[in-house]
Amino acid sequence: MTAIKTQKMTKVYNGVTVVNGIDLKVEKGEIFGFLGRNGAGKSTFINMLTGIAKPTSGSFTLLGGDSKTTDVKRRTGVMPDYSTFYGSTTALEHLRFFASLSGKPASKSVCMEALEAVGLAEHANKKAGKFSFGMKKKLGVAQAIIHDPDLLFLDEPTSGMDAESGIQIQRLIRSLHEKGKTIFLTSHNLDEVEKLCTRIAIMKEGRIVKIGTMDELRAFYRTNIIVKIRHSPIPVSEAPKLHQWLESKGADVQFSDERTIITVDGDKKIAEITRAFTACKTDIYRVEVEEPTLEEIFLD
Amino acid sequence: MVAIFKREFFQLFKGVKSILIVLLFLTTSYYAAKFSELLKGTMQLTAEEAEDIQLLGIMLLIWIFGQLFVTSLSHDSINREIQERTMRFLVTKTTRSSILFGKFFGIWMFWFVCMFLSFGVIGFISHHLNFFLFFQALALLTLQISFVLFVSVLIPKPSVTMFFGILAGLIFPILGGWLVLTSNPFISWLKYITPYFYVDDEDYKFLVVFLLAGLLVYLANLVFKRREC
Repeated sequence: MTAIKTQKMTKVYNGVTVVNGIDLKVEKGEIFGFLGRNGAGKSTFINMLTGIAKPTSGSFTLLGGDSKTTDVKRRTGVMPDYSTFYGSTTALEHLRFFASLSGKPASKSVCMEALEAVGLAEHANKKAGKFSFGMKKKLGVAQAIIHDPDLLFLDEPTSGMDAESGIQIQRLIRSLHEKGKTIFLTSHNLDEVEKLCTRIAIMKEGRIVKIGTMDELRAFYRTNIIVKIRHSPIPVSEAPKLHQWLESKGADVQFSDERTIITVDGDKKIAEITRAFTACKTDIYRVEVEEPTLEEIFLD
Repeated sequence: MVAIFKREFFQLFKGVKSILIVLLFLTTSYYAAKFSELLKGTMQLTAEEAEDIQLLGIMLLIWIFGQLFVTSLSHDSINREIQERTMRFLVTKTTRSSILFGKFFGIWMFWFVCMFLSFGVIGFISHHLNFFLFFQALALLTLQISFVLFVSVLIPKPSVTMFFGILAGLIFPILGGWLVLTSNPFISWLKYITPYFYVDDEDYKFLVVFLLAGLLVYLANLVFKRREC
């Protein structure tokens, strides 16, 4: 089942196209990561999907229905980008109010569970006006999950949090995913996206420029694989033959007594190289393959 | 809508401004009822007017200062939430119409309770109540609430709505009263768009004020649906 489907979604502000004709499909049960530099249009895109902003053109459905209906809103949880809370209202009161608003009133114990999950239980009765930025972020996540939604939008859920809190939220996202929830998140933390997301889209100047699983994105960018091999000394009688063969198979070959570095253009060549070393009576101790990281793909 | 209604209603009672306004209404009602007999002696009144003299204080308060009071409490009901981005939590959880109507009924219920208590105090002291005037006053307040909500949806900055609300609160009663009383044919037709014309007499014309209020809430809803939060 498709959780999010957009068709030619476009947003124009004062003649500037911020989101430019995005077609996207997110299946149920995915953790979909949305990456992009500041101003790439990520938050505007989320804001359109969640009803905060209206698209200039294009259409979309959430959970197979119209996002403006109460039914779809009740099955959707949203943590918008930077938002403030009611200063004189406690964390617990916020959750009870938001739960009622979502049509699923929550008892005190349910609210405490949500606060516990984000690490805010001990501040349940503290007024939000006294919260730090990180605590507000946690409350933002708690209010998004308080009504047990099927689809979650999290806009920069861990930015501004300390490392420990960030890990706690990442664990929460994983546990929600295990329960079958669909999660659409944006983040500047590439490592977080790489670890959490089942599929990733990279947005640039209002368009999705790359989309796929981490493996698909890597495969797309894996035209140059650097292979580092640690091995036993190559017998003198075999060395010239092996060197000649390696130079015909790859580029930038660097030899030393017990280490060879070679750049190849496909996974199959790595297997051929390891077989060639063995055939030349050389033991292989370690093979390291340098793959493109999400950071390299992102910065490309 | 119920959650928004309850929050708006109870939040209004929590503020210092609202408590002062409720106290002002109750004090005015109490003393107007208590000293109404003194007024009867100093003013020339018809028998009907003399019967409701104890309501004079509260009615003048609503006619002259009603718009100012409603503005001071609720001028930023919508735009403050948009400016501080708390509105983002609301629009992602329920429909915009539910938010607007929830807020409208929350504010309306606050004033209903306030009026009910004030008329209750007057009735308790004078042993006489005029429900007709109660509903006339309520009609006027309903329009004032709708106007404030409409302005709050239309103008993004709370400081501007406060300024505009005070201006409207000062001009509307003067302009409305003048339009009702003037015989100048070029401008007297404008009285039909002011609520004062419809609550001037003790007849059912005041029901038109509820229609005007409904129209303003409808327009506010249309604008709010198009507003970015």
